[in-house]
Amino acid sequence: MLEFEGATKRFGAVAALQGCTFTAAPGRLTGFLGPNGAGKTTAMRSIFGLVALDDGSVRWQGDAITPAARNRFGYMPEERGLYPRMRVRDQLIYLAVLSGRSRPGAGRRVDDWLERFGLTARAKDRLDTLSHGNQQRVQLIAALVNDPELLVLDEPFSGLDPLAMANMSDVLAERAAHGAAVLFSSHQLDLVEDLCEDVVIVDRGKVVLCGDLARLRAGIRQRFVEVRYAGAAPPLTAVPGASVVERREGLVRLRLADDCDIAEVAALAQSSGRLVSFRYEPPTLSQLFRQAVGS
Amino acid sequence: MSGFQQVRVIAARELRERGRSRAFLISLVLMVVVVVAVIVVPALLKSKTSMDVGLTGTAPAGLATAIDAQGQGADDATVRVRRYDTLASGEAAVRRGAVDVLVIGTARLEWRREADPRLQAVVTAAIQLVTVRERAAAAGLDPDTLARVLAPVQVENVELGQVAGRSRGDETAALAMTIVLLMVISTYGGMVLTGVVEEKSSRVVEVLLARIPARRLLAGKITGIGLLGLGQVAATAVAALVASAVVRSVELPAVRGAVLAWVVVWFVLGFALYATAFGALGSLASRTEDAQGVAGPVTIVLIASYFASFTAIGSPRSGWAQGVSYLPITAPMAMPNRVAMGATAWWEPVVAVAVTLATVVGLVRLAGRVYVGAILRTGPTLKLRDVWRATSRAATATPSGVASTGNGGRASVLRAGVGIRRREAVAIVVAVVLAVVVGAITRDVVIGVAVGALLVAAARAGLRHGHR
Repeated sequence: MLEFEGATKRFGAVAALQGCTFTAAPGRLTGFLGPNGAGKTTAMRSIFGLVALDDGSVRWQGDAITPAARNRFGYMPEERGLYPRMRVRDQLIYLAVLSGRSRPGAGRRVDDWLERFGLTARAKDRLDTLSHGNQQRVQLIAALVNDPELLVLDEPFSGLDPLAMANMSDVLAERAAHGAAVLFSSHQLDLVEDLCEDVVIVDRGKVVLCGDLARLRAGIRQRFVEVRYAGAAPPLTAVPGASVVERREGLVRLRLADDCDIAEVAALAQSSGRLVSFRYEPPTLSQLFRQAVGS
Repeated sequence: MSGFQQVRVIAARELRERGRSRAFLISLVLMVVVVVAVIVVPALLKSKTSMDVGLTGTAPAGLATAIDAQGQGADDATVRVRRYDTLASGEAAVRRGAVDVLVIGTARLEWRREADPRLQAVVTAAIQLVTVRERAAAAGLDPDTLARVLAPVQVENVELGQVAGRSRGDETAALAMTIVLLMVISTYGGMVLTGVVEEKSSRVVEVLLARIPARRLLAGKITGIGLLGLGQVAATAVAALVASAVVRSVELPAVRGAVLAWVVVWFVLGFALYATAFGALGSLASRTEDAQGVAGPVTIVLIASYFASFTAIGSPRSGWAQGVSYLPITAPMAMPNRVAMGATAWWEPVVAVAVTLATVVGLVRLAGRVYVGAILRTGPTLKLRDVWRATSRAATATPSGVASTGNGGRASVLRAGVGIRRREAVAIVVAVVLAVVVGAITRDVVIGVAVGALLVAAARAGLRHGHR
């Protein structure tokens, strides 16, 4: 379990983290969300000692994080980078050995990963001769090469094409299934909603929402109704306690207050025209996010 | 994985990646070729080993044999004598280079251009000898007496040098070693500098620092590159030894084993000192183009200390020489000079090594702090002062990197304050002791007081800054 407790960090006049407390659990994917400049990168760097906290702590399995513990962590920084002129395989083995793996073991593991990403033929090439996409794959292998128990990725999906995104999602889910705690930041809320069990939302250095995503969504009393229809629009605005969020030809979205009667809404939806679909759901992550960040 | 192992892995990567780069291999080969050429080419140029002497006119009977005999004395050349019947044919031979000099009777030597002093000495000595013999015979001296009279007087040449038992050879060796040290520090120190900047500009440094502490990364880099430099020097030295053994053109000064051992020690210390400074400053620049500008001050100090130690060869026992051989920034070049010149007591280099080693340790800590503060801040070149301030604020607020919460945090800040006062006292005591040592060695009160005042001021300023 990765635990942030009251983590605080200032850079001059800027408060990057203001008493952040949250966790990332083994075997689960945790999405780390927040607008730009919210403190995500600072928090991630503090796990690796790249930022010394002014106050508060980061713990792994209950203990302060030591360099030895970091041997079992994997990190993909937001600013990607490896040695451009070093050969791919040599470079990955080097990073694995620095994390305390034996050279032969590291070699085998690197070969497995290169094979999986279809890079076996490029193993002996210099990194800067690879395409951008392939360099991204090597960067991901660099984070995975020591079979980390904690995997931290800063914007792993940025700059990826849809196919590469799917691959990345698979790899992250697979690592979590193998028992790793996976913490990654992203601005792609749909993707996080599909992928993550847990989310942490930070804004201006403070945690504004965190926990199990399904429970967070269920915990909010507000419900949303989406009605698709053909023909004349149903008179849904007449329902007390319901407000229209979105309306266009063939679709109406409503936000329902706590005391709103769903049966009444359903009846009205069927009252005119032809009902195509009726969805009654808790708020999406994207709605949660907008509410939490307050924009 | 222990810290030592990590440093070893990093050093091994530097050695492997740089050792097989084309630039390094070319520079290695070029260096060996240049050194071998410097030794072999003069030997080839000197290969004209015969001197031809033409005789004409009425020369005394024994002159040709006498010239031959004198010529035996010149160790690496043979003298051949030829007779010309007429002055004209002899002069023609000089003009076309068939002979180097034409001897006309015993009165005149004719050269094509200016006289060759060695050949001139051989020929005039022979003429003197033959003429004296003729005159002695005319005066009725018997040949045995003459031989005793003419027996050569051996006069020995001795080079006294600066110190008893040390010759010009030692001076040359000291000079050569200083130059090699300067070259290695500037070349390989420059490699540390650009290496650090490249890691920062390619952003790989964040991936590395997530795995290992900055101090080890810097230490491994410096170790690897230093070993590479030592390897190049060793390869060049071996090439020079082999070449000079084969050609025997220059006499390499015989260097004592103890001196050589000290030179290696100072090579390591000097490189560690300057490379650490280069590495720390390198972290301030984000682009390779800015690297040289950032390192400018260190380069200036390096060259200044080269000249400062250079002057120590001429008078290794002077107060100046003693001063610069203890000052850490000049000691790596000055102290081996004084050792080579035999101008040190046994304990002097030991003390200087201790002082320099302490400085290196201190510098590594400072460099680590600058490095950590600067390496993840990209953009325009950073100012040393800003990085220092930023890290010192962090250092006082979180003494152990991960701060404890609440009261614990406040208590540790208090402890840090007490720690600084104690450290300040220790620093001042060390500065005073050093000043006394310098004063005692140079036997100069003014130098001692000046050094002491500087050190105390520097220590206090440094700690105050750290405290704030």
